[in-house]
Amino acid sequence: MVNDLLTSPPGWMHAAIFFGLGACLLMIVLGFVTYAILAERKVLGFMQLRPGPNRVGGRFGLLQTVADVLKLLIKEDTIPKAADKPLFILAPVLAFAPAFMVLAAIPFSDHLKFSDLSIGLLYYIAISGITTVGILMAGWASNNKYSLLGGMRSAAQMISYEIPLVISVVGVIMFSGSLNLTEIVEGQKTVAYMFLSPLGFIVFLISSIAELNRTPFDLPEAESELVAGYHVEYSGFRWAFFMLTEYVYLFAMAALTTVLFLGGWNPVPFLGFIPGIIWFALKFSLIVFFMIWVRGTMPRLRADQLMEFAWKVLLPVALLNIFVSAVVKELFLR
Amino acid sequence: MTGEMIAFFILALTAIAGGVMMINMTNVIHMVVALVFTFLAIAGIYITLSAEFVAAVQVLIYSGAITIIMLFGIMLTRHEGMTEWKLPRLTVLLSGAGIIVFFVIMFFGINRLSLGNPATDLHVDNTKNIGIELYSKYVIPFELTSVLLLVALIGAIVIAKRDDEKEEAGK
Repeated sequence: MVNDLLTSPPGWMHAAIFFGLGACLLMIVLGFVTYAILAERKVLGFMQLRPGPNRVGGRFGLLQTVADVLKLLIKEDTIPKAADKPLFILAPVLAFAPAFMVLAAIPFSDHLKFSDLSIGLLYYIAISGITTVGILMAGWASNNKYSLLGGMRSAAQMISYEIPLVISVVGVIMFSGSLNLTEIVEGQKTVAYMFLSPLGFIVFLISSIAELNRTPFDLPEAESELVAGYHVEYSGFRWAFFMLTEYVYLFAMAALTTVLFLGGWNPVPFLGFIPGIIWFALKFSLIVFFMIWVRGTMPRLRADQLMEFAWKVLLPVALLNIFVSAVVKELFLR
Repeated sequence: MTGEMIAFFILALTAIAGGVMMINMTNVIHMVVALVFTFLAIAGIYITLSAEFVAAVQVLIYSGAITIIMLFGIMLTRHEGMTEWKLPRLTVLLSGAGIIVFFVIMFFGINRLSLGNPATDLHVDNTKNIGIELYSKYVIPFELTSVLLLVALIGAIVIAKRDDEKEEAGK
């Protein structure tokens, strides 16, 4: 159905349908965020031998996040007197909007996708860069030294890790011969790119965790040094927007990893009777779990180690991956 | 009025408004933010022209990287970056006249311009065609540009390094 919509001539009806579909996706993503936060707290609790949330909403704390969001909604909204007011208000919007925009490029299954961009991958990378501007703005507009430091760190980190992230994908682009995410998934019918360019996969996974500002790369919000990083001065729903940005990017990045390296909706051999969307969900959940697992395992890096790691380890390995991928493609995939 | 026209007008207005705001604002950070909107609107105009690859690169390089480098530069040098200057009346009058002359010349020039039939299949394999052109027809300029960028990179490292040595010698 969506394929027909995407190829037929545009009109007001299309705009309305896509608006409705977009609203549905937003609701699904918000549902995901609600339960991803709960899952994160539960899994971390399990790893640290404590129960995690278990009061609100039954034995598993199913309504804990809902209660937290409600609390954030009715909290007082404070704007510091010395803050740069217009930028302070604009920053959460500029940080969140790209996080949702990137989802437009991601195909969830053969029939469930919102676009068929020939530059899908490039679109994701380009749009996600705008969030950095929002975060830097939040850090500056708060007029607080901790938030400024947090914003600076965040921008420096996101820019440095974007480079290995992009270069590690070049292998995948070479194998599939396309930047279109649907075609990339279709190219993985026989074997997932994870096995063809394992180096690229590892570099991509590490730099994606860094792009998401998650432990062990969560220096922008290192509590012990910076109080809370770029959102120190934010409260209530503006603060919630930054958290939302973080988790929507988790959703987007896990989906992108699934599409690029795990074969998207392609089934594992001999299990083709299970529908594609379920395979996508399974692979996607695996990545999300992995991210939470890493958070529960690794300590935080030091700021100088962080930069050295990006430029002296990840970048050369990503460049090596391009070379190895080219050799593999020439030797085995002709 | 087609959808393309509406999109063009919204994007063009955003781009011009961003530019005007950038010139008129007093706070340097606000200027850079206004500039981001101009860059994004220009990327949108590229999309209406079926140049998707250029649009994505525009967002990636200008709205992403260059803006952040500018913000870094401003934040690291002066925190309270305010500029206010008054122009002498003669300058205002002369530049105003210049703008009017420029507008009239451009207006008549564009009115008489004919670009032939617009291409209709630009969106087909956009990125691929750019790549093929770049690596078949324009290999030497492309490689020369990469060498130039490499030289700039090494030059930046050399300059940064020299500062370090001076500081150490000063100690």
